[in-house]
Amino acid sequence: MREFANWLAGTGLNQTIAGNLWMIPTIQSVHIVAIGVLVGALFMVDMRILGVVGKDQSLVVTSRRFAPWIWGAIAVLLTSGVLLIFGEPERELLSFSFWAKMILVVIGTAIVAAFQIHLRGREAEWETTLVAAPLTKVFAIASIGIWIAIMVLGRFIAWDAQIWGALSPQL
Amino acid sequence: MDFYQIFSGIEATGIATWVRESLYGLPIVNALHVISIALVFGTIFVVDLRLVGWQSVTRPFTNVAGDLLKWTWLGFAVALVTGLLMFSANATTFYVNTQFQLKLAAIALAGINMMVFELVTVRSVSQWDTDRTTPNAARFAGFASITLWVSVIVLGRWIGYSKGFNFDAPIDIDFDLDNLFGAAGQLIAPYVG
Repeated sequence: MREFANWLAGTGLNQTIAGNLWMIPTIQSVHIVAIGVLVGALFMVDMRILGVVGKDQSLVVTSRRFAPWIWGAIAVLLTSGVLLIFGEPERELLSFSFWAKMILVVIGTAIVAAFQIHLRGREAEWETTLVAAPLTKVFAIASIGIWIAIMVLGRFIAWDAQIWGALSPQL
Repeated sequence: MDFYQIFSGIEATGIATWVRESLYGLPIVNALHVISIALVFGTIFVVDLRLVGWQSVTRPFTNVAGDLLKWTWLGFAVALVTGLLMFSANATTFYVNTQFQLKLAAIALAGINMMVFELVTVRSVSQWDTDRTTPNAARFAGFASITLWVSVIVLGRWIGYSKGFNFDAPIDIDFDLDNLFGAAGQLIAPYVG
């Protein structure tokens, strides 16, 4: 991984991002705005499943409305995230927080995708029975928890060795 | 009044010292700050999109706002507490920090925008609650809110890369507004110090 990070550090894209001081904070700002959009959209769907918000509209309408925002935000997050890896390869790739975060990103995204695929063709069924199903609510709560953990780990990248000690590859 | 003395007094308090010097204090407070900001922006964004007429247009505005604004306030409360904790830890550096001052100004403007909306624009809400197209004042409030909260996020992130806060960058690297955006930076530099 260190060799890969070193190779990234030699790319032209790295030179551009690392060479212009305003680029990292700008990309990070885009990353945070996108996380806000994702949290808002996921919040609407998960809280609708839990019956906390949006009860005047069906789950199908709610999910359809926010799915483009969810996937749009994830696309912006991936793009800005990749740019941040190019800009600071060692900081990201040689950190425990980053890899723990990536595992949770895969799980969190899989839950979103699985839910939307499962919803397809079962619209009526979802309204009458499945919204009340305990397992659905467990997944909604897990989804919220996973994305909160993703944000925490994302912020922890900045203090990886300090927080994780020997777990951090930076030590 | 000597502001420096006041802020260095804040900095010397036990809680400020804990945030600044403990192993996990700052990372935990900082992470909570980011989560609460995501909640503030994510929920207000959905309300703002309803106001400008881009999203949730089949729902009455009051339903969207009623659902979400309590969560926005919860997020804001947590952001405020965690923000105050981080401020106290480095108060003497924060209060002279340009990005921090601009961030507070942007939050104040967002507050004024919200008050004008809540006290004036919302009075006629019964006339446009279910309309797809909201009045111009409501559309303006939505656009202004999105713009101001994005500015708050950008300025907040910028604090970490300015004088005294280089958590990630070498200490001698500072954002010099004169050079930051080339000619554009030089145009605005005299006004923002």
